[in-house]
Amino acid sequence: MRALWVIFRTILRDQRVALLRGGALGLIVVLMGVALLGLSGWFITAAAAAGLAGAGAVFDVFRPSALVRFLALGRAAARYGERMLTHDATLRALQTLRGQVLAGMLAAPLAQMSRLRGAQALNRLTADIDALDGVPLRLVLPVLAGVAAQIVAFAALWWLVAPEVALWVLAGSLLGSALILTLAARRMLPLSRRVEAAAQAFRARLIDLIGARRDLTVYGRLVAQVGAVQGAEVRRLALRRDLDRADRRAGAALGVLGAVVTAGALGIGMALAQAGRIEPAFAALGFFAALALGETLAPLRRAVSDLGRMADAARRVTAAPGATPPPTPLGPVGQGLRVEGLTLLRPGTDAAVVSALTFAAQPGQTLALVGPSGAGKSTLLLALAGLHPVAAGQITLAGRALSDWPEAALRDHLALLPQRSALMAGTVAEALHLAGPADDATLWSVLEAVQLADLVRTRGGLPARIGPRGEGLSGGEARRLALARVILRRPQVLLLDEPTEGLDDSTARAVMAGLRRMLPQAILIVAAHRPLETEGADAVLTLN
Amino acid sequence: MPRFPHSLLAPGQRLWRRAAGLSVLAALLWPLMAAVVAWALGGLLTGAAPSPLLAALGFGGLGVLRALANALAEGQAQAAADAILTQARANLLATEARRAEDSRLGGAGSIAALAGEKLELLVPYITRYAPARARVSVLPLVILILAFWHSWAVGLILLVSGPLIPVFMALVGLAAKEASARQLAEIGTLNDLLVDRLSALVDIRLLGAGARVLAGFQDQATHLRRRTMAVLGVAFLSSTVLELFAAIGVAMVAVFVGFSLLGALEFGTWGRPLSPQAGIFLLLLAPEFFQPLRDLSAAWHDKAVADAVLDELTAHAAESGAALPGTGGPAPRLPGPASVALLGCVTPSGRVLPDIAIAPGERVALVGASGAGKTSALRLMAGLSLPQTGQVRVAGQPLTAQTADGWRARLGWMPQAPHFLAGSLRQNLTLGREGDLPAALRSAAVDTVVAGMPRGLATRLGETGAGLSGGEARRITLARAVLAAPDLILADEPTADLDAATARSVTKGLLAQAARGATLVVATHDPALAARMDRIIDLGGAR
Repeated sequence: MRALWVIFRTILRDQRVALLRGGALGLIVVLMGVALLGLSGWFITAAAAAGLAGAGAVFDVFRPSALVRFLALGRAAARYGERMLTHDATLRALQTLRGQVLAGMLAAPLAQMSRLRGAQALNRLTADIDALDGVPLRLVLPVLAGVAAQIVAFAALWWLVAPEVALWVLAGSLLGSALILTLAARRMLPLSRRVEAAAQAFRARLIDLIGARRDLTVYGRLVAQVGAVQGAEVRRLALRRDLDRADRRAGAALGVLGAVVTAGALGIGMALAQAGRIEPAFAALGFFAALALGETLAPLRRAVSDLGRMADAARRVTAAPGATPPPTPLGPVGQGLRVEGLTLLRPGTDAAVVSALTFAAQPGQTLALVGPSGAGKSTLLLALAGLHPVAAGQITLAGRALSDWPEAALRDHLALLPQRSALMAGTVAEALHLAGPADDATLWSVLEAVQLADLVRTRGGLPARIGPRGEGLSGGEARRLALARVILRRPQVLLLDEPTEGLDDSTARAVMAGLRRMLPQAILIVAAHRPLETEGADAVLTLN
Repeated sequence: MPRFPHSLLAPGQRLWRRAAGLSVLAALLWPLMAAVVAWALGGLLTGAAPSPLLAALGFGGLGVLRALANALAEGQAQAAADAILTQARANLLATEARRAEDSRLGGAGSIAALAGEKLELLVPYITRYAPARARVSVLPLVILILAFWHSWAVGLILLVSGPLIPVFMALVGLAAKEASARQLAEIGTLNDLLVDRLSALVDIRLLGAGARVLAGFQDQATHLRRRTMAVLGVAFLSSTVLELFAAIGVAMVAVFVGFSLLGALEFGTWGRPLSPQAGIFLLLLAPEFFQPLRDLSAAWHDKAVADAVLDELTAHAAESGAALPGTGGPAPRLPGPASVALLGCVTPSGRVLPDIAIAPGERVALVGASGAGKTSALRLMAGLSLPQTGQVRVAGQPLTAQTADGWRARLGWMPQAPHFLAGSLRQNLTLGREGDLPAALRSAAVDTVVAGMPRGLATRLGETGAGLSGGEARRITLARAVLAAPDLILADEPTADLDAATARSVTKGLLAQAARGATLVVATHDPALAARMDRIIDLGGAR
């Protein structure tokens, strides 16, 4: 529940004016509705009384009927305004929130980034934030408007009708609905959390089924995976039924409460009229106002139904890493790359993968890292890119300690082609533009350098489409496209993790030559796994 | 455009009808409640009032009954929604489990969104729209008869203002459907866009592209928000107009009743003047005449959204694509020699492959430029798809849907890009099969890597094998492939990603399987690996 409040405050901060206006309009809508029905009831009953008394000719019909028309039309207009305002404000606030979460994830530490499973992260950003639209729209604003309307109506009924009726309606509605909502929330909160977990299991398993379809088929596990998806669905369904039942009970209880409060207002009003304490028309006013106030209970039910899901979503969204403010830019103060006494540990263990390593590289030099798989080539590259913690020693980049480099300046100065690069759905041009703005001629020159120009031309040029996760490209083609992307960054230092993987020898040689041609002054550090990657190196560093 | 009722909604039909009936019954209680109020308040004026207790009990009792009937109706409607959604999910799952290739409607994220939150969009339609429709067909008519019974003028007012509403509603509904279809399509792409962005988080960071990606994403989100507001704007406008119609109708009834009761109007009733009771009764009935129409219009948006979802479900079900041969379930090993042959095969994507015949125990390398069809050939041999034309022969017989499961039970499979399941390393390695796991890990030269992992075999893997280097992930798939002592191993680029020493140990692991008698087919660029095979088949150059 605390998380819900945090989220509401965030939303309010983002859209304070619009939400306050919307909330005020919401209160006006409720009050006009109560006034309309109460006035109509009073008008008919008073007119009948005047007619029976033969005083029809002197009864003022025009002011009440004008007021009825004003309330009826005004309420419709106010409702339209309220809905547009609050929905637009909420959607805007959620967009801001979504951006904040994505920004937070982009700034998260590497370990956290790679732990992030696609399905879960997707859910956090879409479903969770979508669910949060209910926080202002279905929870906070209707509850506040309802409570405020009850209090205003209480004062009006006290003044116009009788304290007995006013007290009955206020106490019955507020206490009754508070009791019902508390009981319902206690039952439904944990249930909806479990429904959500089951829905997540369903989603994750379905994504696994689709993503690993071929592997599962070969190993005869496709049917079992279908069963696992169905299992999650069966559990979700059973929990959902329990939740729906609790929801229905809350709805029925609110319906009964509305009937009892209105019936009480009718009975009390009648008794007071028969005792001669109030006019029959004011007894009618009390009854009709209570009837209209009953409508403020209806949105509360939606709020309770969604409360569990909203609280859950709010908890996850607020737990996501927050965005960090952009750091002040800092430029290089020297040249080259120096590593002294560097020790790196395998993540989660005390085992050193690299220990007391010292080397240096100058602009224009190529340095090859060799050694068996697991010797720490990739870890060393990650550390040089500032993405792996340094256990001991020092990395100095362009005269400044690596840890002193602000993120943005570091990425401008240095680029890393990791062992596996992700390509996103879009066109070839879009894939390349991820590296930054560049004109078409530059894009083609880079594609030539990585031996991809011919292929791209046969596929229809720069607007050729790539499917999600690089679908439609072979492993070697995807590799070269990722390589083209890092070249476009024009880094001073380029770290390459097995850059020619998946390429045949002649292509690989041409790619390595093209790379150097495009970046003549860059320091290239290559984690090499085949001899041709070390061929043009100025120095070879062996790790083991 | 799906017609009402859509065949996908059939599983809930019976429950649905019951829900509608109960909902109508609950609504019919209102005229009775109004009669009690009219009797009580009118009686105060004429001096014929019942006791306040009796009036309160009468009104309250009927109100309680109405609340209970509504709850029962909701129960039936929710049960109908359960039945329909369960069936639709099962159909979707069955379709996905039968496919050989991914759906053209989108990737895993899109399909999961369709089966998840988009399908949930049917629930309001089922639970709100259908009962509202039933109420519309009964309630206004009943109230119209009651109104005419007391006063033809009031009846006439309702009769004239009522039918305008459905006409307007139909127009609004058409606009809303189009707007929400556009919005729905956008949600799908936004989800895919996000999965894509999130799986590329590290790359985005390394390219310093965070700000650009964020800006692009915000653009998309702004589009989506505008479209959503367009849909909502139409819906809000329609309900506002309805509210105005209803307000005008009710105000006219109130004015007529008020003037009649004052004695200012002499017409509109059947001869005798309107009694206070009848006046109050009519005033209470008038809003309820419009209420079902307003409920239906509020639910019209639900219908528009549901229609768009139903269209998408229909498109998904109707999508013709190559079916996966066999079921993908466990099966006894197909008897016969571990041989495989491609005869005159054209791959599903239309590439012509040369004839290939591989004898039991043979070690074969498929080479060729990138994109020459090596991976497609391996998929045909694994029975993951059937050729457009030509025949795949395995174990001396044609590979068909009947023999595919049994054939695959004999295979070890190393894909180029593994998708690790959301589970432990052990689960990903065994995939529910028996086998000597330590031996498999040793032969893939990955046993020391596993031992060095923080939680060993219990380590949870990410979608793309987080925590494993490319070489490690590749060797895990090798261990997975050799676990159940397969008769034939199909490996796609088994030594890519690997340094020379590790490539040698993987090659050694594969050759050890061949030494055991297994047939070995590798698609590779690695001349060192190809040289260790008995035979090299060149599939030719790139297109």
